[in-house]
Amino acid sequence: MSVWSFGLLLFAASTAIAASPEHQERHFAVKGHPVVVLQNIVNGRIEVKSSKNPEVVVSSTSIADKVAIDIEQVGDRIDISASSLSSSPLPHEVEANFQLTVPEQTELQLKTQTGLIYVEQVTGDMKLESVAGDVHLKEVSGYIIVKTTGGSLVCTLCSGKLEFASISGGAQVLQPSLTNVNLMTTSGNILYDGDFIRTGLYTMRSGKGLVEVRFSGNDSFDLNARTNLGVVDNQAAAFLKPDTHASRHAASRYAHSLFGTVGQGLAKVELSSYSGTIRILKRN
Amino acid sequence: MHCKELESVLETEGLGPLPKDARLHLATCGACQAFVADLNSIVSAAKSLPAEVNPPDRIWISLRAQLEAEGLIKEPVEVSERSSWWESFNAWLKPRTFATVTAAALVLAAAIFVTRTPHNSNVNNLDSAKNQPVAETPRPAQPQVTASAPPSSTNAANVPSKGPTPSKAKDLAPSPSESASFTLNQAELDVPNMQLAGNSQVDLALRQNLRTLNAFIAECELHLKQNPQDELAREYLNTAYQQKADLLAAMMESGRGEN
Repeated sequence: MSVWSFGLLLFAASTAIAASPEHQERHFAVKGHPVVVLQNIVNGRIEVKSSKNPEVVVSSTSIADKVAIDIEQVGDRIDISASSLSSSPLPHEVEANFQLTVPEQTELQLKTQTGLIYVEQVTGDMKLESVAGDVHLKEVSGYIIVKTTGGSLVCTLCSGKLEFASISGGAQVLQPSLTNVNLMTTSGNILYDGDFIRTGLYTMRSGKGLVEVRFSGNDSFDLNARTNLGVVDNQAAAFLKPDTHASRHAASRYAHSLFGTVGQGLAKVELSSYSGTIRILKRN
Repeated sequence: MHCKELESVLETEGLGPLPKDARLHLATCGACQAFVADLNSIVSAAKSLPAEVNPPDRIWISLRAQLEAEGLIKEPVEVSERSSWWESFNAWLKPRTFATVTAAALVLAAAIFVTRTPHNSNVNNLDSAKNQPVAETPRPAQPQVTASAPPSSTNAANVPSKGPTPSKAKDLAPSPSESASFTLNQAELDVPNMQLAGNSQVDLALRQNLRTLNAFIAECELHLKQNPQDELAREYLNTAYQQKADLLAAMMESGRGEN
């Protein structure tokens, strides 16, 4: 190997080392229920899991001279931010991935651009925002607010209250124990597969997408489904009784609509779509 | 010269070069020296403040358009002035404040629109009620599972008293829909040339979603022109306006944050 070749190899290796991601881990002791605020202005994944320990552990991976990560603790509040240091960076360089380990009862405010937000087994109010990244929640509980521009939501075994708003992102709510649900998307699809808790309020709206609800035979709810230009695909006609509270409804002149009651009609389910399909199914 | 006189000189002349008698008084009066020192510190502190106290002219234009649409002011909006405020725009704005104020204005506009909608629909209802025979009052809901299809266009055409005609609805100006649309379109004017997040993936997502919203808004607006009584379509249109306001604010924040 010539000296030049060796030099080139050395240069390439040093460049690769300089651009390789750097891992950091910091621990913050907390006393009560902490509040974790993460503003990831660059790309990247945020993963949050819980532990029994009274501390917040922040692990991050990023390229040190491309992304600045600031972490500050004020009492039980941990503020984390990631921002780009480069004026014209390559997409992969402006990336910061976070892995947070928090006490089970923690309040979260997470914001990212394109990466996935994943939260598992955390109890506490949370506000999760993303532009293009998806949001996956598993076994979370509290008042959950999810806002995306194009990212989708998958919420599995969630409980409490859920609000979702998106332009093109869809929402899947699977096996929930939610008492209050408000899902709204302009062009995404909505799937609700689970029980409706008595006295719960469930509103699901999609401008152009499919709204599909799969309920169980033990459920008890009043159903109000309306669509302007789409269709109501009722595949559970055998389980829907005449609407026992029909006097409260005034059918839109222009909408395809379906009113009915399952069980005693204790919960209230409102489904609507401007031009998409509304499908109602009973789970086997 | 006395202290009062010096104060009045400062009020009229400012902190520039003072007249001779004022300077003589200032040289010997400790209270006035302290007063002038205070003024100097206020001025220097004010100079160090960023130029973000005043929102950009765009906000006033948007609000003015909104107020005009609400009928609260009568003067037309000078769209031709856009170039002049645009020239001063870059000098005035600071990224976060601009985005925040813009967002606030857009949300305000959307909120005004939303809150006005029931009023206008009431007006529509009143208007249609005048033309409706008694038989056309809302029918009681049937206690049965209903999967009703909309009336066909021919059927609708044969029932003149279903609601106001599009042209009649148009007469009920000012249309909040048009004013909200105008306000949002004003805010959208800069977006095509704006470098957003400096990130192609985010840029693409933002622009694609703006296109999605615009297409949906256009669809709803067209539908509402033909069916002005359609409450569900109006609800979706209101939501789409709010989403567009939020999206434009996010786009501006992204763009300014990078610049």
